[in-house]
Formats: sequence, structure tokens, C-alpha cells
Amino acid sequence: MAIPWRLCWRRNAGSTGITLLDSFCGTKGRPVSIAASSIRRTDSLGSLDNQEQTPGRPVILNTVTSNFLSRHRSRFLYSTPRPCCCRRTHSDAKLKDPFTLAQNDLKNLYDDIRKELFVSKKELKALCDYYFDGQGKSFRPMIVVLMARACNIHSNGAGELLPAQRSIAMISEMIHTASLVHDDVIDGSDTRRGKTTINEMWGEKKAILAGDFILSAASMALARIGNNTVVSVLSQVIEDLVRGEFMQLGSKENENERFKHYLEKTFKKTASLIANSCKAVSILVNSDPEVHEIAFQYGKNVGIAFQLVDDVLDFTSCANQLGKPSAADLRLGLATGPVLFACEQFPELHSMIMRRFSTNGDVDRAWQYVVESDGVEQTNYLAQRYCQEAIRQISRLQASPERDALIRLTELVLTRDK
Amino acid sequence: MAVMWSRLSCIGLRRGIRSISLFSNTSPSSWTKVVSDAEKIVGYPTSFMSLRCLLSDELSNVAMHVRKLVGTKHPLLNTARGFVYDSKNNLQMRGLVVLLMSKAAGPSRSIPDPQLPDMVSGIYPSQRNLAEITELIHTAFLVHRGIVNLKDWTNADGPLKDMQFGNKMAVLSGDFLLANACTGLAQLNNTKVVEVISSAIGDLVQGIYTEGSHSAEDSSNADVSLASWEDQAFLSHGALLAKSCQAAMELAKHNMDAQMLAYQYGKHLSLGHKLNSDLQPFVKSSAAEPLPFSMDLAPVVFHRQIVGQEKWLQQLQQARSIGRPIDYTKLWLTIKTEKGVSQAMDLCSYHGNKALEAIRRFPPSEARSALENIASAVTKI
Repeated sequence: MAIPWRLCWRRNAGSTGITLLDSFCGTKGRPVSIAASSIRRTDSLGSLDNQEQTPGRPVILNTVTSNFLSRHRSRFLYSTPRPCCCRRTHSDAKLKDPFTLAQNDLKNLYDDIRKELFVSKKELKALCDYYFDGQGKSFRPMIVVLMARACNIHSNGAGELLPAQRSIAMISEMIHTASLVHDDVIDGSDTRRGKTTINEMWGEKKAILAGDFILSAASMALARIGNNTVVSVLSQVIEDLVRGEFMQLGSKENENERFKHYLEKTFKKTASLIANSCKAVSILVNSDPEVHEIAFQYGKNVGIAFQLVDDVLDFTSCANQLGKPSAADLRLGLATGPVLFACEQFPELHSMIMRRFSTNGDVDRAWQYVVESDGVEQTNYLAQRYCQEAIRQISRLQASPERDALIRLTELVLTRDK
Repeated sequence: MAVMWSRLSCIGLRRGIRSISLFSNTSPSSWTKVVSDAEKIVGYPTSFMSLRCLLSDELSNVAMHVRKLVGTKHPLLNTARGFVYDSKNNLQMRGLVVLLMSKAAGPSRSIPDPQLPDMVSGIYPSQRNLAEITELIHTAFLVHRGIVNLKDWTNADGPLKDMQFGNKMAVLSGDFLLANACTGLAQLNNTKVVEVISSAIGDLVQGIYTEGSHSAEDSSNADVSLASWEDQAFLSHGALLAKSCQAAMELAKHNMDAQMLAYQYGKHLSLGHKLNSDLQPFVKSSAAEPLPFSMDLAPVVFHRQIVGQEKWLQQLQQARSIGRPIDYTKLWLTIKTEKGVSQAMDLCSYHGNKALEAIRRFPPSEARSALENIASAVTKI
């Protein structure tokens, strides 16, 4: 399998996260052939770099991941679209299903959220409750409670979930929902999770107000926790969400910048909420900044991977599976990972990206290019890299069923099909 | 909005049409003077407050896009225009009141708190930030108020595409202002303040949500009692200022009594102000050309309550020939014959007095006088 050598990764000295893909190398047309399985062979990737590991807490996985990440400028090539590295390396460890493990803590989550949304006006109440119908995946609250328990065990051996930590789980879902409601107005969407959107049912103005109300309720719940640092951390999310939305308005002429822009936007729009919610629950139980950083980095990396997979599914999933029509992003004029990668192989895409697929036939043509390119595989591969980094981070916490569930979760993020 | 308020008040004051104020000790020559005098007291013109936000990349981006809306009917255009005038004319009233209130209350009388940094012109830095946040929230909702329902839009009104685009800009810029308010709030390092101001945002949303639901004929919204008007006006026009004034006290660690007085001042001042501006179309001496007025205005609401739904519908009928728009002159005259207008005036005066009552419980000072002047000016119609 011939793959153009195009991804260059660099690890920032002193930082624990994957730094964003900082450049595309101008090496188009220099295909490198490599055996498909070589990526799994740790020894083919150079020597082990132990500096990245927390001393005294070696974790099997680190062998693989730190190898990947610590090399200064190494090439990465994927083998198959979705190798489940965690399953392979943990073949004998029993990894709990995250959903089952978090189930108990998430019981009545939506009832409790609806109680936070205290409004006397019946119609406004109905709008606010609309998406808190218990039909959502509650992906964010699940990560939050698992992270909370993992941090609690790491910090004091006790796994009990603190009430404030559960509040963070609710708040994360509320902030997420408020931003969805506003996004649907901005994008003019008429369906969401198989339901008619609020803007379609009640009009744009009421939808925006309902979103604002959910946000104010989330902010009140946050304030009642009574922790200034936690308030700060989650306020950052709100700012990131808006800045991410602004970033989506513009596209960059320069290809390197464009990819950086895309990943930064992805962090702000999706990963910041998960990262900072994880950080918030860690702050509530532990004063060690290193633990906060682990929680943040896990959330950040899983969040970016989650969105990358989402962007792939926009191309590969059938219309009804994701609850929105496929190629929805293209129709909105957005160039996501698969298109940006495809543009490397098909420079014809460049002008379409710049005009935001606005000319007749652009969407279909761009779609065709993406299908013919390996943009989808490349994006999936990138998502794997982020998941591996997430695993590396979370593995620095003391072992617990919840920590292992968070490891398992990365696999679910990569293999989900809706 | 602030600029509109003040313009209306200025017109009213200059013409000296009618003054129902009994506060002879304060005789502000004009609203503008009251405000500009007050601004000197707090140290710098309040127009600087949102400058940081206005100069951000995001908003200049929006400003660029908003230009495309010129020539369309999207409300964002007018809001943006008003916002620019607002900052030029130094009329960010809410921020100003918060600053004056902070100064009037002075430093905390409890043991000096080492955590509180030095005051500048008698105001703590955190209180200045709060004043800015109050303006950000107010402006955010001016913008979100102007979001258009696309289904109500007909082709005759102009291209739908423009409206979609205008909405997108309005959502984004309103969200941006709100997000800045949120991070600003967090930096105050006081979760009580975060809670109070967040609840004010919730109030504002509830108030705006029901705005404009009183259409002329609609009898399903027959609940137009004075009390329900006041509740509604408090949510949409009073809660933010009341709670910001309260929060300013909390930031200086003043006790609950002081917090409640500040809250009362903010609440009654806003309601007085709202009544004042609602009354403007009805205080002109002649009905030469009464502009179309909203059925939400206090005098109209009170009029409907006085005459009852049935008679109101009759009056509406009379003011409009079949298939033609409402004859506002006729309706205006009808409303003026009843007690709706004077009831609104009495209520305006009542709220002005209540505001004065609250502020006079603070020790005398320059800042207190300015707040008294503002409260008095509000009752002059």
C-alpha cells in the first residue's frame, strides 16, 4: 500500500499533549511503501522514551504510545483504518463497558437537569426541556462521571462521586445542549437526533432565547458549586464555543494554516467542553495540578478524536444513522478533515474549499474527490493518534475500573458508527 | 436602547410638557446633564467599558459582515447602529448606575478586607468590571432580541438569504458578548455574584420571551393586569440592573441590608425608566402625527385593563376601517380620554419615589446625589 508521506508530527518540549499537527510537509508525490503491519511493531519505531511516563507507574500501553509521540519528526503511516490498539494490548485485562459503569451515576440525570431549568412560562419550559428527553447519548456526562471517579480513586482511594462532580456532569450536558440549539439556528438545521429542531418548531428567536436560558441555568448551577476555579474553567468553555463558531466562518488560503485552523476549531467547538469538564471534576477532589492536566489532556484528546470521527461519519454514514443528512458539512460550506486530506491528493479541491462549495455541483464533486482519496482513512488515523495520546494520559492515573473504562471509551469513540 | 431612552427623556424634559415630580430639591436641567455630571463622579466616561470587546477580532469580523446587511430590513443593523451611537454618547446607563451605586455605598464597613484591592475614585476594580459585564449582557440581549423568525418572513419583505445571514451574525455576536460576560463574571472570583447575575440573565430571557405577545386583538393574552405588567417589565427591564446593583454591594462585602437597598434602587429606577419611555408617545400635546405605537406600552395596557377586553375591541374596530391599517391618531385620542395614561404617570412617579427612598438610606455623597438626580429625572415626563 502506497501512502504519500505527508504527516509530520512534532512534540512540544515540556508539554504533555499532542501538539496540533503543525505543518504539512511539502513532500507530495514521495510515496513510501511500507508493510501494512509495521506500525504495530513497537520496535520498528525506535527506542523507548521513558521520559514521558510518570515514574513508578509504568503502563503497558505507554510502550506503544510514547514511542509514537516522542519521536521528534517521525512519519506515521496507518495500516488499517481502525486498529484497536487498546484491545490488543489489554487483551487479558477486562475492560468495563463505560456506559454500564456510569449508568448508576447518570440515573435521573435528565430529570435533574429539567429541575434546574426553572421557568414559569409553560412554552419556554417546553423549549428548554425539549432535548433533555433522555434520548441523548449523554456521552459528555458519562466521561465526566468516569473521570470523577477515576480521579477520586487516584486521589484518596475512595471512588464515591461528589455531588459537585455530578453537577459538573449535568452542567456539561446543559452547555452542550445550549450550543446545539444555537448551532441549529446558525446552520438552519431542521432535524437533530431524529427530532424536529427547536428553530423549526418555534422559530429562530425563541430557539435562541431558549439556548440563552439553558446557559443561564447552567451558569447558576455552576456558581452554586461555590468553587471559583471551577467557575473559571467552565466559563472558558463558553468562550471557546463561540470562538470556535467564529473560526468556522472563515477559511484559510494557506493549506498548512488551514489544517491548524481546523484542529484549533475542533478543539474549541468540541474538545474544550470535555477537557475542561474533566479538569473541573479533578479540581474538586485533588489539588495537584498534574492530575488536573491529565484530566484535561484526556478530555481534550478524546474530544478531538470524537469530532474527527464525527467528520468522517459525515461522509461514510447513511443519512438516518447520524440523525443528519450526510455531507451536511460540505453543504454548510465547511471543509473538515477528510476534505482537507483529500485536497493534498486532489489540489482541484482547493478552490472549492475557498469558495465554501458554493458553486453548483461543488458538493457532489468534492464528495467524489473525498471518496477517491484516502481522506477518510487519514482522518481516522489521526483520530487514532489522538486516542492513543488520551490513553497515555489517563494511564498515568492509578488503576481503577473507571480509568479502564475511559481507556475502553477511546475504542468506542473510534468504532462508533453513529 | 439607552440612547433612545435618553433621547426621549431629553425631548420630554426640554419641552417641559409636564412634570409630575415633586422633588424640588433636585432640578437637573436635562437628562444629558444628569448623566454627564454623574460620569465625572465615577472617574471616566462609561463608553470605554465595552471597548475591549468592540475591538476584538470577532466583533470587527461581524462589523464587516453587518455592512452587507445595509439596505436589508434585518433589525441587527439598527441595533449595531444604536450601539455605536451609544458608545459615542456615553450613555451606557446601567453601567453608570452600577458604578455610582458602588461609590455611594463606599468601602465595606466591616474589618478591612486584605483581599480587596485599592479603590480608584472610590470604586473597586471588580465593581468596574461588573459594570462592564452588565453592559455586555444588556447589549447581548439587544442583539438577540432582533433575531427574525424566518417563517414569518415573506418574499415581499426582501430576500430570505439576507435575513438568514443577519440572524447568523446576530446569534454569533450576541453569543460572543454573553461569553465575554461569562468569563468576566468568573474573574470576579465571587460565586455569589456569578449566581445573582446568571439569574438576571435568566430573568431577561423570560422577559424578552413574552415581549410582543400582546397583539392588538389577542384576547388569549387577556392577562393585562397592572401586576402582570409590572412582573413582565421587571423581568425584561429591571432584573439586570437590580441584580447588578446588588452584586456591586456583594463585591464590596456590604451586608444583606445594603444589598437589598441597592437592589430596590435598581429595580424601581428601571421600572420608572420603562414607564417614562412608554409614556413618551402619549405626552405630546397634539395628535398631529402620532407614530404607530406598540400595544405593549404601559398606557395601552392599562387602558385595556380599564375599559375591558370587549370595549377595547370595539375601540380598535372604530380606529380601523375594514382592510386598512389602524388609524393611530384615532386610537391615540381614544386612549388619552381614559385613565391609562395618568395611571402610567402615577406609577412612574411611584417607582421614582421608591428608588429615591432606597438611595436615601445611603450616607450623603456626591454619588448619592447623582443617583437621586437620575431617579428624579426618570419621573419627569
